Amino acid sequence: MSMTTVAASNLAMTYRVPVRADGLKAALASMFHREYRTVDAVRSISFAVEPGEVVGFIGPNGAGKTTTLKMLSGVLHPTGGTAQVLGHTPWQRERAFLRQIAMIRGSRPMSGPAELTVLDALKFQELIYEVEPDQFRRNLAELTELLNLEPLLQRQVRALSLGEKMRAGLAWSLVYRPRVLFLDEPTLGLDVTATTMMRRFIADYSRETGATVLLTSHYMADVESLCRRIILIDKGALTYDGDLAGLSARLAPYKLLKVALTGPAPGDWDRYGTVMTANGSEVSLRVRREEVPAITARLLAELTVADLSVTEPPLESVIDQVYREGV
Amino acid sequence: MQVEFLKWFAWRSFAFTLVANQAVTPLIGLAVWSVAMPGQGVTSYYVAMLLVRLLTVSYENHTFSGRVYEGAVADDLLRPNAVVLAPLGENLAIRVWHIIIGLPVIVVLLLVVDVDLGTQNLAVAIPAVLVAAVLRFLYTWSLALSAFWTERAHSAVGFGSTLVFLLGGEAAPVYLLPDAIRPWAEALPFRAMSGFPAELAAGLVPPQAIAAGFIYQLLWTAVFAVTAAAVWRAGVRRYTAVGG
Repeated sequence: MSMTTVAASNLAMTYRVPVRADGLKAALASMFHREYRTVDAVRSISFAVEPGEVVGFIGPNGAGKTTTLKMLSGVLHPTGGTAQVLGHTPWQRERAFLRQIAMIRGSRPMSGPAELTVLDALKFQELIYEVEPDQFRRNLAELTELLNLEPLLQRQVRALSLGEKMRAGLAWSLVYRPRVLFLDEPTLGLDVTATTMMRRFIADYSRETGATVLLTSHYMADVESLCRRIILIDKGALTYDGDLAGLSARLAPYKLLKVALTGPAPGDWDRYGTVMTANGSEVSLRVRREEVPAITARLLAELTVADLSVTEPPLESVIDQVYREGV
Repeated sequence: MQVEFLKWFAWRSFAFTLVANQAVTPLIGLAVWSVAMPGQGVTSYYVAMLLVRLLTVSYENHTFSGRVYEGAVADDLLRPNAVVLAPLGENLAIRVWHIIIGLPVIVVLLLVVDVDLGTQNLAVAIPAVLVAAVLRFLYTWSLALSAFWTERAHSAVGFGSTLVFLLGGEAAPVYLLPDAIRPWAEALPFRAMSGFPAELAAGLVPPQAIAAGFIYQLLWTAVFAVTAAAVWRAGVRRYTAVGG
């Protein structure tokens, strides 16, 4: 039986932020008596992630996603709860732990020395992470091919474009083969081509190396294409942990039936479902999930159907509903 | 250090301005004091002072504090090596670049002014320069760590540099200070990281006072090593509590 890669139990992070009223008087008073407000960034969340899983953390801005990743990677010391990543307590930042993880931030894709060439930066990683020379050469060759790094290797990091920095940053973070990847908004600011490359690369890396990936993103397409499982965090609390289809089912109890007829259209579509759009012999109906099989059967039996499809409501609209109204 | 040396290779034109900045104080001191107090060993002292400054420069308020403000220390904390190694490597790389760029200035000074730096004096000064280099790094590093608490780390390090300037033998050689001040200036850490090695190189320290100078150096190095470690621990505790 494989050991759980990430285990968080009642993990919490509370900040104390200084506050004061406006005006000079309040500013002077705050020099002698500072007042603080407590902000619960993360409130007692618990979950476990198994080896090789790719888990997406989603939630609105300020929900606590990045704070959670920072606690699990060891940058932040939580104010409550416990966590184990690869059997280590992250915030103790033991060498054995740090050598097995990587944190990639879309806002700062390449954290290596910007004045070095990409190849020098990668060799720096070889040294710091004590990668065996043969292993380094193999990893470098593989990453060079997968990320099309050849044209970048001799160039200075600071002169790279954002997309190139992300490719170099991926190589920089993966050249020592980390077992756990923390990705914080990895496709932030990337164009369509770079985003697609990034998603494909992360999926391939996880599949080929068995690495566990924890990802935050505001782009639902990232989450949809990479993560079978999502963890929804809102106002610091975990509000959903499961697959995307489950979240859709829970939040949107309807499906869309798109029907195209070869014969005449009935006058009363309402007996099948709520008409969303109608265009001649094509109609889109909103039907309750549990009624979909029966309605589909009736449509096929009673009408001359040329085409029929059942679709989930658009993911973006489901997530928008979650952010506005909660689960 | 190799990485940092390469990094500063990219910044070599900037390094020229830094060296010029480091050279200004000893050159002014040389011009002023060699006229005001001729025949007091001032010329040799300030040439040695220039060498000491180039070998002990520390810019951790620019290098490390900047990383705290950028949030880049989060990246440093995630690497499996001591965070201090990168600033230390950068410090050494900067000093090597300072010497490479500043050496021609010293050669020119040796040719145009009357300098007497005896071999024996230089041999005694070398260990003092090494200890001063360590002490200056620990001192600047400790002050630069104030970046964990305030956005004014430059001011903290700037104030520290002013103390070195005033009391360390840069504004005026400590051995020329009035009797009421000199013992204090000799005992404080500022001469240990600046004036003392220059005095040794210029042969201005009486033989019976050499041991005391080294003792002060080692004592202050130990004090700032403990201080730096304590401030680092407290700083990281704060950083990991607030997230940078």
